[in-house]
Amino acid sequence: MLWLCLHLPDLALEIFTRGAPANDPLVVVCGNGRKRRVALCNAAARGRGIRPDMGLNAAHALAGSLRVCERDREAERVALDRLAAWSGQFTSVVSRTPPQALLLEVAGSCRLFGGLERLKEMVSRGVAELGYRASLASAPTPLAASWLAQDGREACVTRQNALAAVLASLPLTCLGLTAKQSETLHGMGVRTIGDCLRLPRDGLARRMGPELIHILDRALGCVPDPRPAFVAPSVFASSLPLPGAVSTAEGLLFPVRRLLLELEGFLRARDAGTRSLSLSFHHAAAGTTPVRLELVAPSRDAAYLTLLLRERLDRVALPAPVEEVSLHVADPCPLAPRNLDFFAPAQAAEGMLIERLRARLGRDAVRGLGQVAEHRPERAWTYAEPGSGAAVRGGSGRQLLQGSACTSHGAEDRKRPLWLLREPMPLEVRGERPYLDGMLVLGRERERIESGWWDGQDIARDYFIACSGQGVRLWVYRELAGEHRWFLHGMFA
Amino acid sequence: MNTLADYAELHCLSNFSFLRGASHPEELVERAAALGYVALAITDECSLAGAVRAHLAARDRQIKLILGSEFALSDGPRLVLLAVDRVSYGDLSELITCGRRAAGKGKYSLERADVARIATRCLALWLPEEIPGPVLDPEPGLWLRQYFPGSAWIAVELMRDGLDGARLARLADLGRQTGLPLVASGDVHMHVRARRALQDTLTAIRLGVPLEEAGCALNANGERHLRTRRVLARLYVPELLAETKRIAGRCRFSLDELRYEYPEEVVPTGEMPAAYLARLVTEGLGRRWPAGAPARVRGLVAHELALIAELGYEPYFLTVYDIVRFARARGILCQGRGSAANSVVCYCLGITEVDPDRIETLFERFISRERNEPPDIDVDFEHDRREEVIQYIYRKYGRARAALAATVITYRPRSAVRDVGKALGLAPEQLDRLTANLQWWDGRDVVPDRLAEAGFDPANPAIRRLMERVRELLGFPRHLSQHVGGFVIARGPLSSLVPIENAAMPERTVIQWDKDDLDALGLLKVDCLALGMLSAIHRAFDLIEAVQGRRLTMASLPAEDPAVYAMIQRADTVGVFQIESRAQMAMLPRLRPDRFYDLVIEVAIVRPGPIQGGMVHPYLRRRRGEEPVSYPSEAVREVLARTLGVPIFQEQVIRLAMVAAGFSAGEADRLRRAMAAWHRRGGLEHFEQRLIDGMRANGYTEDFARQIFAQIQGFGEYGFPESHAASFALLVYASAWLKCHEPAAFLCALLNSQPMGFYSPAQLVQDARRHGVEVRPADVRTSDWDCTLESGRSCAPAVRLGLSLVRGLSRAGARRLVEARMQAPFTGVADLARRAQLARHDLGMLAAAGALAGLAGHRHVAHWTVAGVEPDLPLLEGRDVAEAQPLLRPPTEGENIVADYASLGLSLRRHPLALLRLHLDRLGVHCAAAVRLLSRGSPVRTAGLVIGRQRPGSAGGVIFVTLEDETGHVNVIVWPGVAERERRALLGARLLVVTGEIQREGEVLHVIARCLEDRSELLGALVTHSRDFR
Repeated sequence: MLWLCLHLPDLALEIFTRGAPANDPLVVVCGNGRKRRVALCNAAARGRGIRPDMGLNAAHALAGSLRVCERDREAERVALDRLAAWSGQFTSVVSRTPPQALLLEVAGSCRLFGGLERLKEMVSRGVAELGYRASLASAPTPLAASWLAQDGREACVTRQNALAAVLASLPLTCLGLTAKQSETLHGMGVRTIGDCLRLPRDGLARRMGPELIHILDRALGCVPDPRPAFVAPSVFASSLPLPGAVSTAEGLLFPVRRLLLELEGFLRARDAGTRSLSLSFHHAAAGTTPVRLELVAPSRDAAYLTLLLRERLDRVALPAPVEEVSLHVADPCPLAPRNLDFFAPAQAAEGMLIERLRARLGRDAVRGLGQVAEHRPERAWTYAEPGSGAAVRGGSGRQLLQGSACTSHGAEDRKRPLWLLREPMPLEVRGERPYLDGMLVLGRERERIESGWWDGQDIARDYFIACSGQGVRLWVYRELAGEHRWFLHGMFA
Repeated sequence: MNTLADYAELHCLSNFSFLRGASHPEELVERAAALGYVALAITDECSLAGAVRAHLAARDRQIKLILGSEFALSDGPRLVLLAVDRVSYGDLSELITCGRRAAGKGKYSLERADVARIATRCLALWLPEEIPGPVLDPEPGLWLRQYFPGSAWIAVELMRDGLDGARLARLADLGRQTGLPLVASGDVHMHVRARRALQDTLTAIRLGVPLEEAGCALNANGERHLRTRRVLARLYVPELLAETKRIAGRCRFSLDELRYEYPEEVVPTGEMPAAYLARLVTEGLGRRWPAGAPARVRGLVAHELALIAELGYEPYFLTVYDIVRFARARGILCQGRGSAANSVVCYCLGITEVDPDRIETLFERFISRERNEPPDIDVDFEHDRREEVIQYIYRKYGRARAALAATVITYRPRSAVRDVGKALGLAPEQLDRLTANLQWWDGRDVVPDRLAEAGFDPANPAIRRLMERVRELLGFPRHLSQHVGGFVIARGPLSSLVPIENAAMPERTVIQWDKDDLDALGLLKVDCLALGMLSAIHRAFDLIEAVQGRRLTMASLPAEDPAVYAMIQRADTVGVFQIESRAQMAMLPRLRPDRFYDLVIEVAIVRPGPIQGGMVHPYLRRRRGEEPVSYPSEAVREVLARTLGVPIFQEQVIRLAMVAAGFSAGEADRLRRAMAAWHRRGGLEHFEQRLIDGMRANGYTEDFARQIFAQIQGFGEYGFPESHAASFALLVYASAWLKCHEPAAFLCALLNSQPMGFYSPAQLVQDARRHGVEVRPADVRTSDWDCTLESGRSCAPAVRLGLSLVRGLSRAGARRLVEARMQAPFTGVADLARRAQLARHDLGMLAAAGALAGLAGHRHVAHWTVAGVEPDLPLLEGRDVAEAQPLLRPPTEGENIVADYASLGLSLRRHPLALLRLHLDRLGVHCAAAVRLLSRGSPVRTAGLVIGRQRPGSAGGVIFVTLEDETGHVNVIVWPGVAERERRALLGARLLVVTGEIQREGEVLHVIARCLEDRSELLGALVTHSRDFR
């Protein structure tokens, strides 16, 4: 057996930076509140003096504009899985050692790839192209390979009886001990694996528990160390977040290429290709632009696919900057060409009026109205999904409103016109009274609304219900500040 | 001429209805007075916390103030209760107490039955609930009419929200159904409409939602302010307005009526307070002057007693005496300070130890009729025993009669930015950044430039809105907390005087007024404070007695010892009370104290008051005879003679305002109060012109007047009166004497009283060792929990470090260890583990501390041995022999030092820098001892562990860094420009290399930094601690 370990020291950072190179200081933080600490940082941040384990506030003090990402262990797990699927092209036995390493059993494939050195070089280059930094080491036992890789030694041990000598100089941190255990060992002056191996076996077992001895035995190959093989999913789905939102096709090509490389490895591992790719560009302001690529013949060649997509991307109109790119391939198929089924099953017609209207007039032309808990009339409503009629924003405000006497009362009594003008219309003033095709007669009740300073759209108005000469009931207001102008804001039915 | 209808506002919330009211009580009163209201009622929700502030403002503005409170009863309705006289005020206070005590901190819970039982002698305004529909439920009104016959109204609050017509009709309907009359009121939340934005913000903060989601929970408009009578006349029919005046007319209560009544039990039955006090003082005279008191003292006593009798203060002195007597009986060291404390009466009562023979100048100034101050005595107790005193007070007077004063916790920049920022929807990360360092805040206002430096655009509208609201919100009360030790003790139940509520700490209660409020009403309080140095001095006395058999006391310490003053003049004062800080140490060689009164000045001069007033250098020049001592007038000479014509103390400045600027006694008193409260509330500004005009009119220069005012502002920052300085100076002298003559006992006592003071145990130990004190490591064979004295190699005792310094060691484990050792010495780790029943955790901590060295050998072996102890099954005798003993490498010196610091926070081995010295030599670095020999202006390069960083408010952005190496300390001055450029090294380094030049004034030496380098990597894993920015 020969195990090749890929250790990814910066994985937690790279999941944020793979989509686009980050030239500005960036840190990944973990912990809460005042205990937020830098877990990892990129080269630019290191250049400013930021170091792992530094408090976030201290990091801010060092770099004026610092991008801060919350550590995302789930995303790291997913990334590791994808990399495992990609690694399947080199060997059939891939094993994950979360959170940040993969083990490839390569005894069999060495020859296939032209020797261990060639193989390591290919793996190394491939991983780098995907946007990861990996340190590689190989050894006859999985633990030894892991430890060596973790320690950043590009070692290549092939004989089991050489292991003890090679491992001796490794620090204890490799062992993955609990804080308590390493504290105890540190207290005894034990700094390296070699120090550990020199201690009396039974005494050590009694003090540190039998697990430690067992681990050392496994690392040295004295006891077997079977590893579960990773089973790749049958469908390819991967996505890349883009650090600063990207709005050019050129900028999108970089992450797309990385996804295609990932796909290529995935397909190679299955000895398959694909006939269709679904790319989705997710925009900051919600919404997605889908791009679908259909191939006449199955393929997996990332270079070729990149070429095709480059052409395609130039023609895609992006409504907004892209925050995330995802690639989905549902049907890996054998590389040999096959007939395509051109006829998609007919869609069951949906009888709903809204859908038909939407189909004819365009999706956005058919909308419903909803209420928003807001004092400013122009913001007290919103477009909503037709038929839902729900308040979209200010949900919490509405709940609060249950307990607030004045407004629940108001909701009932306060008069609001059905038709609100898009823009309030200035009214002519004659003799200090508003005029619209005749003098307007103001109602007695005055409704004063002063609200909205927090978003820069503060209003201060006295609203009245007014009667025009034609007997139309109008909703008018007078500004409380400035020129005290009069406006028409709505009409009652 | 069209006269406007009179109006009294009867429903008005101040910002003491936390997160509802958007104006200070003072602002509301001022505004109501300006608008010509007949009266203003402050009716905070279940609270009278703002009452005194409103009362004082109303007294100034000559407007009638009504006290009341708003309640939402759990079984309905909402109502406002108003106090008509002293009795109903007591009821109101009682009701609030009842509601507050029944709920957790900050909440209340009341129902109709409580109101019916306690408070029906008040007037009631019903605030009917506004529910949809044409009619309102009359039932609560009928209930009110039953319990408040002829004293209940329906409040009509018209808000111009489009519903006023309907509202008025329905309320009129309700009036007809219940027979209750209607009255206008305003549901006031702010003094002017312009506070609307802040009021919205408070609502959002209260509900914990961003403003844009607060929706209809916000008020629709800004009508809830004090409206002009013209507007009110348009809104309301005259009858409703007239009714407000009628109600106001029925409310006759003023807080001036409150009379504080002293507790009675401080006087033995059958004796009169005056006679009893006189008797105690006479006894004290005999004790203090066994040979008979000099005539001058007897004269003073007669004078003071007459004054006390005239003002009726006997019970106050007796109350303090009682507390001090209790402490004495328990052997708790204590000392009084404050204006009344340094009187002969207090000296005779044993409240203070300031011996009049030593500082005769101090007396006669501390009680004076014309200063019009209630006596003020703070008593400091040993910090770890103060709780006994507090429990005694509760026991003696009962919880209904004794309570702690409140401290009003107000919005500070950090909390204000955080809360407003959340309401405005700023990202948590942005808020973290804004609050991480408050460099954009200069203590008074936002500095746009520095805001920009912190990465925010001051012109950005969102940031501007944030800063506008923050400015308004600063100083707003947030909640009431308990004062550290200010007790109010009354004759009867306190709750009819002031509401009492639950504090956060269980079983603690706090009254709704703070000490300024109490002071303003002339209610007396006794401050029982905790002081670590008293504990340390007590311990030192005990240690000396145990070793030498002689008992020292504060009173029996040899006075005016030249050796002590020589040490102080050298600034050799690490560990000495007060004068151990970097700033004080820099002052000592310049001021060169050589008698007790100099210490009083020393304690007071390194404070914001004298520094901002620019009084330090003039004083030093005059002291050194470089400038003639002169006085602008004879009157001023009287005030300033004892400080060479330069005002140093707060009392002198107030006195100056009287003699030089012509302040009346009343004005001076207000100035004193404003100074005390300035940093919390502001409000000194209007004294500025008055002071300058007054002094110029009396022929003083404007420059001098401005200096005095700057000093007044400085005192507002941190007031430091002579009366406090005098008491503190006693502790300075006592601790300096101990350091000088009993350094081992002093070190031992300081270590056992941690945390306290300016220096960490490591620095205290280093300092003591430099002075030849032998310090021995913690060792399970000899150490107790505390540090102890052992007989040393020479005749001087040695300090044995205690097990309390061992990080992570349980107290119970250490106790068993010491007990087991008393039975028989330990034969080995196994024996220790078995007999002391130590858990492996404790054993591990002992091994880490090196405390097992005597039993097990070096640390590595100790850890191996300890790890072999089976949990719950300690090794049997001899079993460890059976096991193979590994050959473990002994730790290197560096490893040992690192381990010492990690476990004990200090090391008795070489200083970490001694190990690096060769390396540092190659860097061309001077050690601290060599730096001390350099002359002014010499270029220098030095390095040390960073043990302190300071940015004093009065130093204009200069940062002081203290470095330590194996030969001593070096103080480094970093100017703002360098600080900015070298920020990374300045803030991050544990080992700092500084290049710069020497600044030297006599013995005071600083290194002015030009260039900083962070060489922390040389230290490896060494854990060091710097005391930063405190």
